[in-house]
Amino acid sequence: MKISDYFKKEFCIMDLKATNKEQAIREVANCLTVNGKIKDKEKFIHDILERESLGSTGIGHKVAIPHSRTDVVNGFVIGFGRSKEGIDFKALDGDKVNLIFLMGANPSELNLYLRLLAELSRLLMENSFRRELMSVNTGEEVIDMIKRYEAGSGIVK
Amino acid sequence: MSSIKNIVVSLSGSAASLCTAKYAIYLSKQLNAKLYAVYVVDARSLHELLKARIFVEIEAVEYERDLKDQGTNTLERVKKMAEIKKVEYEGLLLKGVIHEEVINTVRDLSADLLVIGELKEIVSRREIFYDEGERIFRESSCPVVVVKNPEEVDRLYRELEQ
Repeated sequence: MKISDYFKKEFCIMDLKATNKEQAIREVANCLTVNGKIKDKEKFIHDILERESLGSTGIGHKVAIPHSRTDVVNGFVIGFGRSKEGIDFKALDGDKVNLIFLMGANPSELNLYLRLLAELSRLLMENSFRRELMSVNTGEEVIDMIKRYEAGSGIVK
Repeated sequence: MSSIKNIVVSLSGSAASLCTAKYAIYLSKQLNAKLYAVYVVDARSLHELLKARIFVEIEAVEYERDLKDQGTNTLERVKKMAEIKKVEYEGLLLKGVIHEEVINTVRDLSADLLVIGELKEIVSRREIFYDEGERIFRESSCPVVVVKNPEEVDRLYRELEQ
């Protein structure tokens, strides 16, 4: 299973307007809701913020992966938002966050969710992956990039 | 007399893996073999997510508990399916790196056959490395049956005499 199987260009916001954590989560969640991926946006956001209350999903290197198991999605959903100015996520390294992957999975999809989270984690560990995410311009480019890294092709020379 | 005495089936808890279980039961009945069903709690992914600080401790603990519950329920369900067809059965709930635990179980039981679900499309070496099904298929020490065609499997299981 691959992250790119669940991603569409419509789920990418290349220039978030949000100036704080909750606004950013709302903005990406709204994008997913408009595209029919979330049945109850407020419940979804509540579940995401509840998870945030356990500990920031700002994992360092200017990346945040707010996520939750939630029964208001079927299967698995993932959205992406990029903030040029950076957003305070109370990240572990104290840095602002520029790259946000918002993820949700139905509680019945235990193994799928776990493996997709782990896969995204592996991709985000690569400096080149994060750098490219900061420089691509469109949702299509985000998806093409993810597919390349999933295939192990990495940087385009 | 069949020389196939022990069959192992690898289960993930998904609806597709119940189809895999049905075919494993069908084979076990036809070959008069004992069926071992294996469910592995994915400790590798849990560990990776904890290490990357994507999961916090309490989240990982809850997740592991839920995976164990899923495993227990899956094995119990397959046990009932095997009992209906009077197939000798044992369920194994394990924890670790999925492909390693399945491969080790096959070896430890001297399994004659391993049954797994349909493999996903693989387009790179990287996917081979990270895909558990692919690793199980490639590294098994015994022959592997890859189950396909769920409708046919369902028919075979239904028509199997009890």
